[in-house]
Amino acid sequence: MENSTSKASRSQNDPVSVSSSPSVLEAFWLHLICGLGLAVAFWVANNVYAVNLISNPAQTLRLILVIESPIVIFLYSLFRQNPKQCSYLKAVGRGVLGLPAGAVLNAFGAIVLGTPVGIQYLTKTISWSLLMSLFTFVPAACVFGSSWTNWQRLFAHTKPNGILDYMICFPAHGAFLGAWLGAWPMPLDWERPWQEWPICVSYGAVAGYLVAMVASLGFIILCGGGRQHVKGD
Amino acid sequence: MQALALSLMARLKDPWRPPEMRNHPDVFIWDDGHNDMCMKSKAEAPLDGVLLNGERNSKRVVERDEASIKLLSGIFEFALHVKNRFLGMEESLNKKCRLIWPFFLILFLHCVAILFFTRGFLLTRTELSSFRDCSDLSQSPCFPSSFEDLNTSSSSPPNVNGTIRDQHCWTAPAIDRLVIIVLDALRFDFVAPGTFFDETKPWMNKLQVLQKLASDKESSARIFKFVADPPTTSLQRLKGLTTGGLPTFIDVGNSFGAPAIVEDNLIHQLVRNGKRVLMMGDDTWLQLFPDHFGKSYPFPSFNVKDLHTVDNGCIDNLLPSLYKEDWDVLIAHFLGVKVIEVLKNQSGPGGLHENTFLLVMGDHGQTINGDHGGGTAEEVETSIFAMSLKKPSASLPSELDTSFCKLDLDRKKICVSSIQQLDFAVTMSALLGIPFPFGSIGRVNPELYALGAGTWNQPSTSSAKCKNWSKLEEWMQNYINVLCINSWQVKRYIDVYSASSVIGFSSEDLLHLTDLYAQAQDNWLQSVKNLLLSPNEIPKESCDNSLPIFQAQIKAYFDFLASVAELARSKWTEFDLKMMGVGFGIMLISLFIHLVAIRRINKLCQISYPSLGDYEISLGFIFALFVVAIRACSVLSNSYILEEGIVANFLLATTAILNLRHSIMKRKMLIEAVAFLLLISVLRFTIEPGLSKQAVSSVFVNLNPLRVLGIDDSHPVWIYIPEIVPVIALILLAYLLYKSTGGNSCWRVFKYFFITGTILSYILITVHWALESNMLALPLLLEGNGKNFIPRMIYAIGFGLLALLAFTQLFKQEKTLDYKEIVVIKTVAMLSAWSSTVIILLGRQGPLIALASIIGGWCITMLQNLELEAKDVTDGVLTTHPLPVTQWSLLAVYLFFYTGHWCAFDGLRYGAAFIGFDEFNLIRQAILLTIDTFGVSHILPIFGLPFLVTLQHPYGQTNQRKGILSMKLSQVFSMYGLITALIATFTIICVTIQRRHLMVWGLFAPKFVFDVVGLILTDLLICFASVYYIC
Repeated sequence: MENSTSKASRSQNDPVSVSSSPSVLEAFWLHLICGLGLAVAFWVANNVYAVNLISNPAQTLRLILVIESPIVIFLYSLFRQNPKQCSYLKAVGRGVLGLPAGAVLNAFGAIVLGTPVGIQYLTKTISWSLLMSLFTFVPAACVFGSSWTNWQRLFAHTKPNGILDYMICFPAHGAFLGAWLGAWPMPLDWERPWQEWPICVSYGAVAGYLVAMVASLGFIILCGGGRQHVKGD
Repeated sequence: MQALALSLMARLKDPWRPPEMRNHPDVFIWDDGHNDMCMKSKAEAPLDGVLLNGERNSKRVVERDEASIKLLSGIFEFALHVKNRFLGMEESLNKKCRLIWPFFLILFLHCVAILFFTRGFLLTRTELSSFRDCSDLSQSPCFPSSFEDLNTSSSSPPNVNGTIRDQHCWTAPAIDRLVIIVLDALRFDFVAPGTFFDETKPWMNKLQVLQKLASDKESSARIFKFVADPPTTSLQRLKGLTTGGLPTFIDVGNSFGAPAIVEDNLIHQLVRNGKRVLMMGDDTWLQLFPDHFGKSYPFPSFNVKDLHTVDNGCIDNLLPSLYKEDWDVLIAHFLGVKVIEVLKNQSGPGGLHENTFLLVMGDHGQTINGDHGGGTAEEVETSIFAMSLKKPSASLPSELDTSFCKLDLDRKKICVSSIQQLDFAVTMSALLGIPFPFGSIGRVNPELYALGAGTWNQPSTSSAKCKNWSKLEEWMQNYINVLCINSWQVKRYIDVYSASSVIGFSSEDLLHLTDLYAQAQDNWLQSVKNLLLSPNEIPKESCDNSLPIFQAQIKAYFDFLASVAELARSKWTEFDLKMMGVGFGIMLISLFIHLVAIRRINKLCQISYPSLGDYEISLGFIFALFVVAIRACSVLSNSYILEEGIVANFLLATTAILNLRHSIMKRKMLIEAVAFLLLISVLRFTIEPGLSKQAVSSVFVNLNPLRVLGIDDSHPVWIYIPEIVPVIALILLAYLLYKSTGGNSCWRVFKYFFITGTILSYILITVHWALESNMLALPLLLEGNGKNFIPRMIYAIGFGLLALLAFTQLFKQEKTLDYKEIVVIKTVAMLSAWSSTVIILLGRQGPLIALASIIGGWCITMLQNLELEAKDVTDGVLTTHPLPVTQWSLLAVYLFFYTGHWCAFDGLRYGAAFIGFDEFNLIRQAILLTIDTFGVSHILPIFGLPFLVTLQHPYGQTNQRKGILSMKLSQVFSMYGLITALIATFTIICVTIQRRHLMVWGLFAPKFVFDVVGLILTDLLICFASVYYIC
């Protein structure tokens, strides 16, 4: 693609990385497909299997996972770092491995924050943390593999650099933030079924993910274009 | 010679300031009066002694000769020397006092604010422990001196004077036996016919027996709307019903823990006047009246799931009891409709229940959700069904009848009237002929009183009856007598109350009441008394005119009683918004002053140590602000108050996750960050059973992790583990204490005292638990007082260590060297002195909690270095970051909830107050309970706060270090105080907004009390801690 963009977006503290950075249009398509995938997953859950998040949270979450995970893994693997040394299949494999690993971290975080623990919540917690992992860890795992500096840059410093970083960083943080905010209605005494764990947290995560994707697109169009321009001069 | 001596004396007498010292005014700058306090405590005490000595000696000098003058001047020199020493310290003292006085100011402001707010919000009433006696009546104006003559001359009861008095204690008894059936939360629409309401609800018209009886012309039964006064909590209502008063949320003089009613009450009067009271049902009654019932069948009522035990138990006991003669008053707290049939069967002339009165009543209403406590109509309106088995011979005049009639479902006319709960006790007393309870401010309700058949054929007190008087006029005459007694008793109570209570009624109101009473009494004396009591035959005209006179008299009494009730309501049940506003305003001012104080310390730092970096707003600061804001706002919702522990956990975990992120960013302190996260989650699992009330119920048992994992928890290993783990934790604690003080070089002697003292008390705790447990067969060794000996020794050691600390604080030698080390050793000593008492009060979870708080505190202190290192360490940024302080306070809140406390009075662990003591002593037990409740959440965190400062990386030059440290300490303390004050302010806002919320007495008021007590305690502890660490 456009090599100038890829060079502009290259991280300075990681000189080895030669990523096949996407263009603005590609980023748009990727986000659109991911968003559509979620929509389709919800539609299928509702109309084909007649389950929804409130009545069967674990099943619905799994259904979304099954539909969304191939989309995310296959799409993000296209933009893997060092495409010459790392085959497409390897990137997909990294994504598949990253899914349970990220789930463990997410589940731990949720438990620290106060998730109810017990046999009856086990499947729900597992499904939820897998989905969270898909939103947050899997894209980074596909693209960066085990490159610690990149992970650190995105998740600790939160200094995304370039279109690819925006595409990974924004939705992940959106999902975290959405889930965090989604937990707030849980203790209220409205006695609505959706206040149960993990329903409103999942809604929050999905909403945050979608909003962050839009924000990421906006940033890519604003900053990505600007950078290209500066570099062109 | 003498002149010299005198001048020396004059010098010595001049307190404190020899003339040569006056040349250095800069040394003596007092920037305000608070400095004096610090000075006095340190300097004056020893100096006074010296001066006294000097004076005594100088007298001797005057009497004897110059030889002694040398001695005198020697002493004077010594005094000067001592003075110089103190003056040398003065400058630094002065500086320190500048750091300390804001804490005292803030404590004072908070106290004033809370006092004002509490006077407006938490209405209090003083309980008077006077009791009424039959003989008291002779003081009343209602029976004239000719009473005795009248009695002897009256022919109807041929008894002598004394026995009549016994019979008619205050009023003539109108009923022989009374059956009271109390139903919890009986809404008015449970009993009243559905036709009275606009909307039909599924629960209406279910108690048709009562409705049929009430509409039946033949029976003398009636349904009343029974209007309670808030707070509509069961305890307060039962108290209000029996005492005839208006119990407030906090009754001053209430006994600690035990809810027994100490005021004069209906049950007490019944027992005193020889009535036999039989009680069955809810065991709350037994708690309220521990030794009043001749016979009782109590059933536990706390298990809400079990709806049948109480009722079945009652039915088994109630119906047989109805056939017995061994009671006069029967109270049954349950539902049993069959009672009516049994009573009716025996209500014929000469039957067992010929003159029995039946009441079916509720103590308060409830909302649709089943909540009660507040003041909404649904909660306040309950009902009372009254039935006299003997039919009264006439009915009331329309003036006194307030009933409201409608057709019921069967097209029969049914009438419903309204009665205040306040009036219950006094009406029942009047019907039964016993003295009215001392604190009753109700009036004898005419409708309910008229239902008692006996009130219609009272033996007249007057020999001079009008021949043409109807039944009604006779009844009214009798009723006026009753009202006269009633008014006299209420007036007496109001007088005694305002004389004895600190917060009495205003004098204007009292004057108004006195006027009304005097008016009514005048009326009585002038017109009615003549009519009723004149020994001669009354002219016929005045007999005919008697009805309007009676009515006017009744109205006069009603006016008086109504205004008393109104005044009492405004005093005891209505919030004083002005007071609340003033309190809130002062609270806001104190917050502002708090902020100013923090700014001032920052400025002081910059002036004193300009080399240090400027204060800047960091991301951590914003985040800390955000967390505190969320926590403060969460107090505004009842759900979040209920789940406050979980909210604290959530926020603490969020900050911990951010710490982890930060440490990944910096690539250091990773272990601490992960350890902190692990600690939070582990705490949740180990201590969660204590989290909420639900833990007690069976829900938790099902969630027992061992059962879930399919492990048989009856295996001996699982029995031994809970016994052994705390001991291991204690050993670890002792080891930590030894290690932490090991490397320290100062206070060597005291250090050994502390280590041995603390370790000794830890060993004693272990022994105490070993004796308590069933593992060892030791308990037989120590019977009776023996088992109390060990805890008492632990308290004594703790107290001794604290006293020792205070002693060293006063007479320490400032030889040393490193101020930081001194602060560390002081902190460790303080914490270890408190720890043993806190641990033994907390029980077996104590050592684990202590360990957890040590690890948590250590993680927080270590992690704060992450932020600090962002700045240039060599510059030594002075300001403390608020995020660690916020975490510290969140951890404290978290530990409060996870040690099994919650913000309600049943969340107090009363058992802890009796560790080491068997008998009750208000002050002693209150202190123990306070230490148990606030130990881990207030005392230990505040005294441990210096760790946040001392464990930071070294900064500044050595000569500056001391000043910097004390400034940092005061900064940390004021930040911690500000966070607590902010939360308390939001609680105050919350109770002000929600004062008509239905959970106000159940949830918000207890939360308010806990927060306010916590705030004052925090302020006090901060004052102590700042004096201890900084001065």
